[in-house]
Amino acid sequence: MTAGSPVEADVRPDIPPVEVDNVSVRFGAIKALSGVSFTVQPGTIHAVIGPNGAGKSTMFNVLSGVYKAAEGQVRFGDHRLDQMRPYKIAGIGVARAFQNIALSAGQTVAENLMLGRHHLTKAGFLAAGLRLPRATREGKVHGARVAEIAEFLELGNKLHTPVGVLSYGDQKRVEVARALCTEPRLLLLDEPVAGMNAEETHRMAEAILEIRSALGISVVLVEHDMGMVMSLADRVTVLDFGRRIADGTPAEVQADPEVIRAYLGSGDEIDPAAAAAHSSDTPGTHS
Amino acid sequence: MSESTAVAAKGATRRNGAKGSNGAGGGRSARSLIKLLLVAALLVVLLALPLYVPEFWLRTGFAVFGAIVGAIGLNLLVGTTGQLSLAHAFFLAVGAVSYVFVSGEPGGLGVADLDGLSFPPIVGMIVGVLLAGLAGLIFSPIAARLRGIYLGVASLALVFIGIHVLNAWTSVTGGFNGRTAPEFSLFGFTFGNRDPELYVIGVPFREAERLWYLGLVLALAAYLFARNILRSRPGRALQTLRDSEVAAAVMGVNVQGYKARIFLVSSMYAGLSGVMYALSIGSIAPESFGLELSILYLAMIVLGGLGSVNGAVLGAIFVSALPLVFQRYADIIPFVGGQGGGGLAAGEAARFLFGAAIILVILFEPAGLAGIANRITGRGRARARPGGGASTPPPSTDTSTTSTSPSPSDRPAQGSTT
Repeated sequence: MTAGSPVEADVRPDIPPVEVDNVSVRFGAIKALSGVSFTVQPGTIHAVIGPNGAGKSTMFNVLSGVYKAAEGQVRFGDHRLDQMRPYKIAGIGVARAFQNIALSAGQTVAENLMLGRHHLTKAGFLAAGLRLPRATREGKVHGARVAEIAEFLELGNKLHTPVGVLSYGDQKRVEVARALCTEPRLLLLDEPVAGMNAEETHRMAEAILEIRSALGISVVLVEHDMGMVMSLADRVTVLDFGRRIADGTPAEVQADPEVIRAYLGSGDEIDPAAAAAHSSDTPGTHS
Repeated sequence: MSESTAVAAKGATRRNGAKGSNGAGGGRSARSLIKLLLVAALLVVLLALPLYVPEFWLRTGFAVFGAIVGAIGLNLLVGTTGQLSLAHAFFLAVGAVSYVFVSGEPGGLGVADLDGLSFPPIVGMIVGVLLAGLAGLIFSPIAARLRGIYLGVASLALVFIGIHVLNAWTSVTGGFNGRTAPEFSLFGFTFGNRDPELYVIGVPFREAERLWYLGLVLALAAYLFARNILRSRPGRALQTLRDSEVAAAVMGVNVQGYKARIFLVSSMYAGLSGVMYALSIGSIAPESFGLELSILYLAMIVLGGLGSVNGAVLGAIFVSALPLVFQRYADIIPFVGGQGGGGLAAGEAARFLFGAAIILVILFEPAGLAGIANRITGRGRARARPGGGASTPPPSTDTSTTSTSPSPSDRPAQGSTT
């Protein structure tokens, strides 16, 4: 499969670029990110890659407001993501799927997905507790949309299954589905195929491409699976030790000597299998 | 996890899932019909009970209804949201004191010079709930910023403040000796022994019978309200923030706001429970609202099942009825002596039993009495995870930083450059 360029994809007009501008994050004396800048163009799939400890997840935590940047700005249209609380960021259409599944195991798939509708719905304690008609109606309307999204990610027949009994691959897809349920304009996917087998990886990659082409939203992807990154991404930012060492199209990045050095410590051409060995527990599988 | 075991596990869960859905698909309508009939039968029994059951059981029943309301409130906070509170006794006290003060008559016997506002009891009840809520609201900024056990420690202070105020503010609380609670009445109908005299099929409906129905209505309302909350938007937000605060926040849940609000709701439940407690005993005294009461409520929800409304009900029945039953049947039950007699005092015997029960529950059925009930009715099968307890918390530990910090299970990266 080849990545469709953002030009042919139907980019939604209300999607601004994400501008990460000179962002630094410190944990005590350790600089997890230093002066990182990149821009996610509307409607593109933008991958952030790098060896373990490069600061990829820190970057994601900055984008979703979990960590505060010590310096720099993150702009999403008129919004300054670096100054907003996480739940407000969700409210302006930035959704995130977690790397290590952060679902409620005891709740069903449908209930987990309905959480994605949180900022789109209003029912409070009183309306919910008294089952006021507007709360019930709201639940029905959004329940229908949730079922649609579940169908899209092949979870339609598992809606009423508790998440805890699902397979790992299914749980990962519930993560992505939950993020989609927020009707995002920017989708942050933190290692969506980590730990998946070849077939699951392939299905997830197709789903991501379809999300982009069907919804026309921007996708930022942190991923270890090089095969997947190179085939999916329109643009790649490479981090190493908290610094941006490269930024460009997959082909440019693959040829970049800095990147090759970071991954292999030698002048060899980048080898996907060796790169994938950096990942924690991903078998070397590629779509 | 290697690829082959991953696939095997997937196959297993597939089969499991298929079995579950088959069962649900085939028997769903029949099962829900049976459930409906059972609920209806239970309601009929509860409604008819005062016609047949002696006064002792009805009075116990009202005390249990009060405890149910309080336990549901505490379970929303502790079980559903994962916020530990030891201040439940304090909020019960606020409700109880507000009721006796707002609806009580001024005057007093002997030493104590009591104030009272002489409002109708229903006003006292509502004010009791609202003031408990207000107290919760005042404390909620603290509750919103602390999590789990830290909140437990912070909330402990409220209990001691409460006891001090109860002892010191004599004109309102009656001080050390306490104060009698005014009889409840609603639009001229008193929940006492007379006024009006009432007979139903020849059975005199006196205070115990009337209070039974009051308690039933209040407990049912509290139950339904909590069930509805848990099954809709706020409930999902609360459960998710218990499992992972980061995930909840990133999905758009105002974590601090929800922690504050559930603390408010929980304290209002406690306020109503406090009013019912005052009505059930007929008076209030400082010693009733100590730390021990908070612990008893925690025992109820742990025994019943954390996060389950049904569990709160079962736990409340068990914990609040047991000492009363022991007291009543002290002569018959072995090792339990009556007052002044040999053997254990009834309250102590009950406490030993709770202790043992809690240990058993934690060891064998972490989902509590509700988990046992679910297992009997077969509802638990779908919820239970293969080879694990149904209430095992999900892998929520620190959802934010893992990929940057290699975990011990990481394979050493070949050709690592770091």
